Amino acid sequence: MVDTKTNGVPVLELRGIRKSFSTGTEFETEVLHGIDLVVNKGEFCAVIGPSGSGKSTLLNIIGLLDRQTAGTMLIEGKDTNGLSDAEITSLRGRAIGFVFQYHHLITAFTAAENVEMPMLVDRGWPDGEMRETAVGLLDKVGLSKWKDNLASRMSGGQQQRVAIARSLAMNPALILADEPTGNLDTKSADDVFALMRAVNSSQGTTFLIITHNLDLASRTDRIIEIVDGKIVRT
Amino acid sequence: MNIPLPFEFIVALRFLKEGSSQTALTVIGAAVGVSVIVFMTAMLTGVQANIFNQVLSEQAHINVSPVEEAARPLRPADGALELPILQKPTQRISTIDQWQEIVRALRDRPDVVAVSPTVAGSGSVVLGETTKGVSITGIEPEAYYKISDIPSKIISGASDLPPSSALIGKELADDLGVATGDKLRLRTSAIDVIYTVGGIFDLGNRQANGRTILVSLRSAQSLLSVPGGVSGIGITLADPYQAEVVSSELRSSLGLNTESWIKALEQLFTALRTQNISFYSIQFFVALAVALGIASVLVVSVVQRSSEIGILRAMGASRGQVMRVFLVQGAIVGLAGSVAGSALAYVFVALWKMLARNPDGTVFFPINLPLSLILITGGVATLTGLFTAVLPAVSAARLSPVDAIRG
Repeated sequence: MVDTKTNGVPVLELRGIRKSFSTGTEFETEVLHGIDLVVNKGEFCAVIGPSGSGKSTLLNIIGLLDRQTAGTMLIEGKDTNGLSDAEITSLRGRAIGFVFQYHHLITAFTAAENVEMPMLVDRGWPDGEMRETAVGLLDKVGLSKWKDNLASRMSGGQQQRVAIARSLAMNPALILADEPTGNLDTKSADDVFALMRAVNSSQGTTFLIITHNLDLASRTDRIIEIVDGKIVRT
Repeated sequence: MNIPLPFEFIVALRFLKEGSSQTALTVIGAAVGVSVIVFMTAMLTGVQANIFNQVLSEQAHINVSPVEEAARPLRPADGALELPILQKPTQRISTIDQWQEIVRALRDRPDVVAVSPTVAGSGSVVLGETTKGVSITGIEPEAYYKISDIPSKIISGASDLPPSSALIGKELADDLGVATGDKLRLRTSAIDVIYTVGGIFDLGNRQANGRTILVSLRSAQSLLSVPGGVSGIGITLADPYQAEVVSSELRSSLGLNTESWIKALEQLFTALRTQNISFYSIQFFVALAVALGIASVLVVSVVQRSSEIGILRAMGASRGQVMRVFLVQGAIVGLAGSVAGSALAYVFVALWKMLARNPDGTVFFPINLPLSLILITGGVATLTGLFTAVLPAVSAARLSPVDAIRG
């Protein structure tokens, strides 16, 4: 069964996604038991569920950081089954942006350089264009004045905003945020959430936000709840 | 990112810059290793060049001599040996037939630099009631001095050799109590001749200085009763290391005895080979220590930076790009170490030149630091850094993005 919340262009389609992990014995533990989900362009969704329910595993699969054991996943209509490691890497770099709980900026680089990094990895971008894009994105997240500051010298809230700017660098179809406010104080968390919402509204970028914060989840357009490796609400 | 460099170089340089203390220690380690290798190579090259120069400046590369006389068993017609025990005959001064022709032919060879016919034998010096055994060598000064640089070893008088003049060694002059211009009587089994001491030389060898007397070839031929003959021909080659090859060739073509300096100084060559083996062993272990130092720092760096590797992978960096980031770091450390090490070696060489001196103020032996040595060592050090980075680079590339991000 395929669930659709909105009637738009699907950015992400999951059909019967299963994921098992080896336990080091002949037995395997299945943590996702056939996930079916469609997320359309421009949706602003929260994924909730108790610890160990399989949220992060699902996010890793959707983010092409890990592969499913069974099932089909389409990103912008492209079936990811059968793609080589290099093709997966390339698709991940272009179609998906990440925002993690612990910011994960590269501390050796400045805010602007961190935002430029996905373009640098992608190769072929003229220096001037990379810098212009990065400064523009930092301006969007309210940090253009901090562009030349080393990431390591910025506050948690600022780093998370830089991470959001970086996730937008390649203009991805989908941004995956894993507990993006989990490590921030209430004020910073509200600011970061508001920023993501603003980007979603202004650019139509699709967001899939994993969170334990039910108040935050209630402010999204759609809540997807996972319990014991199955979607129970969508 | 002002410098338009590829992604791998930018990230590698920034990682090295961020861990500056760690990077500095690794580069210093590599630099010390490179400096030891460069300095030791320069030193060894200098020592060996000095030994060869000293040895080769005093002797011919090839000595040609007549075939020794040999006793043969008395064998009557029935085939039975009548005198089965052979005793080696006493060697007289034998001469080389047609030596002028041979000398002329040798001088025409393109690989020959100098040819010097000599006649040598023993005699004694008689001065008052003192008699001392000596080794007399008759030479053609112009030719002989191209092989043995006697003029530079003259400490008193001149190196000219008119017929009634003799050059004698320093210790012999001291033993006899003679100085330049004094007379001395040279005696052989045939005749006595009075010579004037024209010059005193120092060969740097007490034994040789105490026995050697040089006179003109013609004069020695009379003294040693070999009128018009020579007992040896000394040859200097353009390439001293071809001596054994040319020696064998001449032995076959001339039918005479030949001995190259390589054969004559076989023990020296064995010693130098042993020295080389020890040296290369030290070089190998120094290079190994440097390589392990670079590798261990990079292995630690991969662990320290695993979450950054993960985030790069999440941003679309391929395994190859991640691997190259660490390979470039290894190469940069190797290159920086080789540049700093070469500079350090230059300082060592300068200190050596300043401090390691003989009592008279001259250097023990000259050491040079050729550009080729620095370039080769630099290249090898950079490649060593690159190769030692392979293992950590592969482990970085193999990191699963999920595990890496989790740290």
